[in-house]
Amino acid sequence: MFALMSASIPSAPKPSRILLVEDDAPIAAEIVAELTARGYDVTHAETGPAGLDLAMGGAFDVLVLDRLLPELDGLAVLARLRAEAVRTPVLVLSALSAVDDRVTGLKAGGDDYLAKPFAMEELCARIEALLRRPSDTRETELVVGPIELDLIGRVARRTGRSLELLPREFRLLEYMARRPNQVLTRDMLLEDVWHYRFIPQTNLVDVHIGKLRRKLDTPDEVPLIQSIRGAGFMLRIPE
Amino acid sequence: MIPVRGPGGGGRPNGTVTGALAALFGTATFRLTIGSTAILLAVTLLQFSLIYWRITAYEVERADRLLDREAALMAAQSPADLLEQLRLWQTNDLRLLITAAGLFDADRRPLGGNLVEWPENLPVDGAIREITVHPLDQGVRTIRAEALPVHGGRFLVIGRGLRDLQQLREITLAAIETALIPAMLVSLGAGAWLGRRNLARVGRMQRAVDAIMEGGLHERLPVGRSGDEMARLATSVNRMLERLEHLLDEIRGVGDDIAHDLRTPLARVRAGLDRARLRSRDPDVLLGAVDRAIADLDQCFGIITALLRIGELENDRRRGHFGAVPLRELVSEIIEFYEPLAEKAGQTLTLDRTADLAVSGDRELLFELVANLVDNAIKFTPHGGHVAIAVLQRPNRQAVLRVSDTGIGIPVAERGMVMQRFFRSDKSRHIGGSGLGLSLVAAIARLHDATVQIGSGPDGTGTVFEIAFPAPAET
Repeated sequence: MFALMSASIPSAPKPSRILLVEDDAPIAAEIVAELTARGYDVTHAETGPAGLDLAMGGAFDVLVLDRLLPELDGLAVLARLRAEAVRTPVLVLSALSAVDDRVTGLKAGGDDYLAKPFAMEELCARIEALLRRPSDTRETELVVGPIELDLIGRVARRTGRSLELLPREFRLLEYMARRPNQVLTRDMLLEDVWHYRFIPQTNLVDVHIGKLRRKLDTPDEVPLIQSIRGAGFMLRIPE
Repeated sequence: MIPVRGPGGGGRPNGTVTGALAALFGTATFRLTIGSTAILLAVTLLQFSLIYWRITAYEVERADRLLDREAALMAAQSPADLLEQLRLWQTNDLRLLITAAGLFDADRRPLGGNLVEWPENLPVDGAIREITVHPLDQGVRTIRAEALPVHGGRFLVIGRGLRDLQQLREITLAAIETALIPAMLVSLGAGAWLGRRNLARVGRMQRAVDAIMEGGLHERLPVGRSGDEMARLATSVNRMLERLEHLLDEIRGVGDDIAHDLRTPLARVRAGLDRARLRSRDPDVLLGAVDRAIADLDQCFGIITALLRIGELENDRRRGHFGAVPLRELVSEIIEFYEPLAEKAGQTLTLDRTADLAVSGDRELLFELVANLVDNAIKFTPHGGHVAIAVLQRPNRQAVLRVSDTGIGIPVAERGMVMQRFFRSDKSRHIGGSGLGLSLVAAIARLHDATVQIGSGPDGTGTVFEIAFPAPAET
């Protein structure tokens, strides 16, 4: 299990710097411990103004910002940062789970939104996604390991073998291929591939992944989509 | 607070009386009475003034006619006759008609009659004027009089007093007193009585409200039989109380349900962790126990999240985001999303027929509604079964979304209850889920003013859910 986790840590010599602005001490301690264990360089601020100062001064790779903060509200911090042209990706945390709150969070300049309570795996997967955001989306062809995707003709191949994918399956594979070797949670897939923000009663994501998996792997091939226990899935590209 | 002591120490009962009076004066009814009494007074006074004015005009005209006639008669007589007549007149009936008369010589010195000096401001022109005179046997009087020349270069002044008019004035005033004062008193009395009655009604309502505030939500305001505006208000308040009581009962019930449904997985978590700690030294078994505990806790979170969503849907803020939602497109998307699940369960999921209809609503929520129905249908339909979605239009132009299955069905007796929070049929106890899927369906339908109907298939098996949206407004 640990070996799998380490695959998601960037192998760069310098660890990614994360600023956590969160006033709830036990939750903050949990997050700091978990992120540090995963090899990130974490700085913690307890209030809005302190977080704002640190975010303006230090060069952070990702900001994790709680919405409800003493002195200066999380969204206000975010608005000031964006006004000062600080473009650091921001993950907004909130105990408010209502869809409307999520929309206001993203509108204020947040890049992602996570409602409390959340699983630590979910938080880490989303931070990682922000750190490794795919930059160029205008390419016409995507090649990841044995997978080739023709984005114009919507044709998918694995080592030359054509895959009969439905449009949704193609979009799912494309999303995963843009984020190889990265943990993708069920909620992330629901939100980003299907654009649904409700949690289905049955785990439909698993069913869809299962179907894609059967089309992607023949019995004698190395399985490319791996299930990550307690977290989600990963498109694992062999070295 | 320093108590203020009234003179004589009798402050308290006096204070209560003053307080009661103040309360009475404060009632809308009493104020209304005072207002209407004032108007009544003004109108009556105006009427009496008009009457008085008309009578005066008539009386003056009559007096003037009389004076002219008498003057003409007297002027026609010889000087000696006139003097004699004046002397007679002073002792005779004529005095009732002519109250002042005097004969004067050319130098306006008195010769006879009861006027001993020439009145001021009375030219000799035969025109009638209102003047002040000092007759012999009387004080200062106002009369209507005229002066005219008579035979022998003499002048005659005759006048008629305004005593009749004075009497009329007194009679009118007396009439006002006798008519108006009792009327005002009756009116004020009635006002006070009505005010007191209303005050008593308000008092009864206040006591009822006090009882409600002390927790007796089953109490109601007294309505009475009058059917007036106060009774209508009381009826409205009672309806509101009924709704509140119903909601409170529901919340209380939901609270019990939450406690019950959260207790089950939490008890499982506790027991599992307890057992793992006591019995097991094997890291894999411990890890398994932790995983199971996390899964159970996730189920608890799922229940709480679903409850919060229902709560969010039950306050109407989301209606602001409503737009036209094409149902065919929505249903096609659902089929695409759920098809793999049906396939995995060995069922077929098909689109029966779709009318090309759009309803006003929140697309995400409607998707969630249909998703929950389909999810439910697949869950309760055995292998080899069939789930179908259809969009129809009723003759009354209502759009209807129908999800039908060939599954275990819902007994008629349970159909009303399945939409309530947490209700799960005894038949379905072994099937997983938060138990809130259909409650969400109900909440979303309610938000869209849509009705939910539960039935069974044509042969009496399976379940048919029909969501009927309100018919579009005529354009």
